[in-house]
Amino acid sequence: MHSDHEENYKFAACTFFAKSHPGETCGSNGLPLTPSSISILGRAQRLLSIEHPNLCTYLDIIRGKHERIIVVAEVIGKSLADLKKKLSTEEIINVARQVANGLQYLHANNITHRTLSDDNILIDLNGKVKLFNYGIFYMTYGGSEVAFPLGQPRYLSPETILNSGGPTADIWTFGVILLELCIGKLWAKLKPGPILRRILGLVHVNDPAKRIAREHNSIEEYEQLPKYLQTLIEKCLQICPSKRATITEILQDLSNVDTKEMCAVKPPRGLMGCKLQYLYHWWQLAGGDIQVELKRNGLIKNSPPILSIPVAILLDGCTIGGKTGVLYDRRIAKYSIELLQSRLSHVSAHDYYPLMHERKKQNDAVTLPKTIRERDTEYQFYRLLWFQRLLHGYPYTAPYIRAEAEIDIPPLVRGDVWAALLGVVGDIEEQYERIDKETPTPTDRQIDVDIPRCHQYCWLLCGSAGHRTLKRLLKAWLLTNPQYVYWQGLDSLTAPFMYLNFCNEARAFACLSAFVPKFLHKFFLKDNSAVIKEYLAKFWQMAAFHEPRLATHLHDINFVPELFAIPWFLTMFSHVFPLHKIVHLWDAFLVEGPSLPLFMGVGILRQLRDTLLESGFNECILLFSDLPEIDIGECVKEAIDMCRSSPRSISYRRFTNDTVKKDSMDQVEIPMEVLFVEICPRISLSDFFSLICEDKCCVVDIRSNLLYEKSCIDGSVNVPYSGVHLGRHELRALGPQPERALQQAIKMKRNVVIASAEDETAQLFSDYLVKCGVPRVCILHGGIAALQTHIPSLFITPPTGNTGK
Amino acid sequence: MATNRTGAAQRPNGAPQTKVCQFKLVLLGESAVGKSSLVLRFVKGQFHEYQESTIGAAFLTQAIRFDDTTVKFEIWDTAGQERYHSLAPMYYRGAQSAIVVYDITNQDTFGRAKNWVKELQRQASPSIVIALAGNKSDLAAKRMVEFEEAQAYADENGLLFMETSAKTAMNVNDIFLAIANKLPKSEAGAAGAAGGGRRLADGEQPRPSQCCK
Ligand SMILES: Nc1nc2c(ncn2[C@@H]2O[C@H](COP(=O)(O)OP(=O)(O)O)[C@@H](O)[C@H]2O)c(=O)[nH]1
Ligand SMILES: [Mg+2]
Repeated sequence: MHSDHEENYKFAACTFFAKSHPGETCGSNGLPLTPSSISILGRAQRLLSIEHPNLCTYLDIIRGKHERIIVVAEVIGKSLADLKKKLSTEEIINVARQVANGLQYLHANNITHRTLSDDNILIDLNGKVKLFNYGIFYMTYGGSEVAFPLGQPRYLSPETILNSGGPTADIWTFGVILLELCIGKLWAKLKPGPILRRILGLVHVNDPAKRIAREHNSIEEYEQLPKYLQTLIEKCLQICPSKRATITEILQDLSNVDTKEMCAVKPPRGLMGCKLQYLYHWWQLAGGDIQVELKRNGLIKNSPPILSIPVAILLDGCTIGGKTGVLYDRRIAKYSIELLQSRLSHVSAHDYYPLMHERKKQNDAVTLPKTIRERDTEYQFYRLLWFQRLLHGYPYTAPYIRAEAEIDIPPLVRGDVWAALLGVVGDIEEQYERIDKETPTPTDRQIDVDIPRCHQYCWLLCGSAGHRTLKRLLKAWLLTNPQYVYWQGLDSLTAPFMYLNFCNEARAFACLSAFVPKFLHKFFLKDNSAVIKEYLAKFWQMAAFHEPRLATHLHDINFVPELFAIPWFLTMFSHVFPLHKIVHLWDAFLVEGPSLPLFMGVGILRQLRDTLLESGFNECILLFSDLPEIDIGECVKEAIDMCRSSPRSISYRRFTNDTVKKDSMDQVEIPMEVLFVEICPRISLSDFFSLICEDKCCVVDIRSNLLYEKSCIDGSVNVPYSGVHLGRHELRALGPQPERALQQAIKMKRNVVIASAEDETAQLFSDYLVKCGVPRVCILHGGIAALQTHIPSLFITPPTGNTGK
Repeated sequence: MATNRTGAAQRPNGAPQTKVCQFKLVLLGESAVGKSSLVLRFVKGQFHEYQESTIGAAFLTQAIRFDDTTVKFEIWDTAGQERYHSLAPMYYRGAQSAIVVYDITNQDTFGRAKNWVKELQRQASPSIVIALAGNKSDLAAKRMVEFEEAQAYADENGLLFMETSAKTAMNVNDIFLAIANKLPKSEAGAAGAAGGGRRLADGEQPRPSQCCK
C-alpha cells in the first residue's frame, strides 16, 4: 500500500507499558497514587518542546489502555543497525559529530539518554544524523516507572549494570558505538547475561577498548584506525566514569578532525517543508491513526483477557504469573504521510506561503461550528499556515492576530495566540526565572489542598509534574502581586494557561499576569467585597437589560447572584466548565474584552431560561449548584451579540484597570448604594447621542406634561410618571401612543432610554418597564438636566397636542 | 430509612400522609476537610477522590424519612477558606442545624472547627442544632485528633458528635439522621422563625410558621 520513499516516512511510534502500582494504595494525603502512565506523560511534556537538528522531535505521547504509553516522534532514513554497509572513517566522524551534538544538547538540559544504541541513531541518504527516542530514560524517571530494564546490554557501561550512572554513562555508550562502527557489532552471538558479564569483566582491565577489540579478533583493524579516533574511543571507554571525557571535550576533539563538510541540503518546500508538528496534526485530522497502525504492525496485540489473569495475587496486591512485564519492545512503526499528501494534493504550491498583503483565501468551512472547523484538515491547513505567518511578525502583527482570532484560533497554536492577544512580550523567561517560587508561605497549605482538586480529570494537571508547576505559578503570581491574596479559585484561573503552556511555564505566568488586571482587576484584594458586589450588580442589570422577564422572575423569588455567580466571575468560569469548553470561552473573552464575561453570565441564564422560569428558589439554586450541560458555542455567540449591541456605558464598572480619564459626557458613575438598588443600567450622554444619531433608541420622557411641553427631546414620548399605575404590569396601561412607541421599539430592537428630572422616578419607572417585559431599558445618566447642558441642540418645543397622551 | 431526592415531600392527591418538615442545614469547617464530600455522599451516595473545591457555596437538598415524618434538608455547603468567612453568615443565618466538620488527620482543622462552633453559638439562632463531624475516619493510621478529645469537647458544648468517612460512607447518613432526630418536628415554628434573619428562599417555601405540615 505504501510506496517505499524513505522521505515520506516522517514519524514513527513505539509503545511500552508503564508499571502498575501493586494493589490500591494511597498517598500520604489519602488520595490514590498517580498512575505511572500519568507521571510519564507529565514528565514527557518537556520532551515535546525540544527542537534540535540532531534530535528527532517528539510529536506526541499517548496514553493507551492498561497503562500503555505510545511515543510518537520524527524519523528519518534508517537506523545504524539497519544500515548494512560499513562506514568509512570520514562517515564515522560525520556520525560521531552529529551524535555528540545531540548528546551535548541533552546533557546541557539535564537529560541523560542512557539508551543510546545503534537502533536509535538514524541517518538519512544525505548523511544527516538524528537520535530517536532519546527521552525514555528521562520520561520514566530513570526507568523507575516501568517494569523492564532500559538499554541494550552491549551498550551499558559497567556502572550502569551495577545500577547507577548519570550522563557519563552516555559517554561510555558513545565509545562503544564508535568502536562498533569501526570493528563491527560487538558480542553479536552472545545472550544478554554473558554480555553483561563480559562488560563487568572489563573493570580490572587497563585498556577496555583494546581488550574488546582483541576479544573480537579485530585488534589489527583497531590499531590501523587513525590515532585520533583511537584516542577518542579510549577517552570514552574509561572504567571510572569521572575519567571519561565530557561530551563537550569530545565535540572539541571532533572539531579538530579535518573532514569535508557535509554538503548542505536545500530545505524542502511545500508540504514537506512545513513544521513537523503541523504535518502530524493535519495527518491526524485527515484520518491518520497511530494506534491502528501499531495494531496492524503487531506492536499492539490484543491477547484474550484470560491470558492476563494472574496465577496468584498476594495480600499486598502484587501478582504472580499472567501477563508479565517482558522486555522493552524495540520495534517501531513508521508512518507515511502519503495520506495527507493526497488529501492536500490540490493545494497549489503558492498557498504554502501566504502573503500578508494578499487577500487570504476564504474557506467555506468558516460557517461551520468551531468544533467542526477544528477537525477539518484543509481548514486547519490554511489557518495554521496563516497564523504561523502572523505570529512570526508579532508584536507588529498584533491587530491582524486579533482580527483573525475573532474568527477562530487553531488549537495547535492557541497558546501562542493567547499570549499575543494578551500582549505578552519581552524576556519573560528571564523575569520568571528571577521570581522566588520555593520559599514556603502561610498560603501554601491552602494551595496544597486546592491543587489536587483542580481540573484533575485532565491528565496534564493531575500528575505530580502538573501539581508542582501549578504551585510554582501560583506562588510566583502571589509574590509578584503583593497587593493581592490567594482566593480559592485562583488555582482554576491559572489552569487554562498552564494547560496551554505546559512546557512554557514562563509564558503561562506572563499570560496570567496580563489576564488578571484586564479581566479581574482588584478581584483578588484581601477585601474584595465591593468589587464583587459591583460586578454582580452589573451582571444583574445586564440580565434585566437583555432578559427582562427572566430577571423579574428571579427578583420575585429572591434569587440573587451572590448565591451562585461568585465562582463564575471570580474564576472567569474556569471553575465552572471543563477545560475544553473554557478554551473556547476564553478565546472570545480575549478578543472581545472585559465586558463579555458579564454577558456570558446572561447567556447562561438565557440558555436555561425555560427551566428557570418554571422553577422556584430551590430548583433554581439546585440547577446552578449542579450546572447542566451548557452549549458553550451557542452561549458565546449570544453573549457576543448582546455585548456588541449594548451601549458601552451600560456595562461600565468603576473597578477596572481603565486609566483613561472620562469626559463628563461619558460619565455614568453613581454611588455604590445607588447601583445596588437600580434594576436598569445607566447610559452615558455620549452613548445616548450616538443612539439618537443612529435612530436606535426610543426616548421616554417621564417628566410632567407641563415641563415636557416647554421643551423636550426631539422624537421622545412623554409618559408623566405621576400618572402611571405601577401595580399594573402592562404596557397598555400607559395609553395608546406610548404603548405603540414601546412595542415598535421592542420590535426594532431599539434601546429604551428613560429621561427624567430626578433619579428616583427614573428608577421606579425603568423597573416598571422591566416588569412589563420590555428589554433594553436604561436610564439616561444625569437626566434631562444634564442633556440640556451638554447637548441643547437635541431639544425642541413640541407642537401642541402631541404630548403623548 | 427511605431517602428520596424530591419525591418524599410530594403528596399524591393532596392528602398528607406524612408530616413534612423542611430544615436548613449549613456545613462549616476548614477547607478540604470533606464538607462537600459528606454532602455528596449523603445526597447522591457518591464519593469523588478529586472533589472540586467549593467557591462561594453550593446548595443541595435531600429528604429522609422516619416513622411518620419526612425531613427535608436544604443543605448549604460553604467554602472553607478563611477569606470566604464574610459570606458565611449569609448561609448560617436562619439555619436550624449545622454540621461543623474537621479532619481527624489534621489538628489545625479541629481548632478551626471549635472557632466555628463558638461563632455559631454567638451569632446563629439560639436553638440551632450543631453536630461536630470528625471526617476521614478511614485514615485512622494518620489520626492527629483523638476521638476522646473531640467527644469531650462536644459533650461540654452540647454538640452531637460522630466520626465520619465520606469515603467509606461510615456514619454519614447517621449524622444527618441524628440531627433530624434532634430537630423539633411539632408546630415548631421554632425552627424557621428563629434567628430572625432573612430567609434565603422566601418566595417558594412555606412560611416559617408552617414549617411542618
Ligand atoms: N480518605 C478520605 N478522603 C476524604 C474524605 N472526605 C473527603 N476526602 C477528600 O478530601 C479532599 C477534600 O474534600 P472536599 O469534600 O472537597 O472538602 P471541603 O473543602 O471541605 O468541601 C478531597 O480530595 C476528598 O476526596 C474521607 O472521608 N476520607
Ligand atoms: Mg467543598
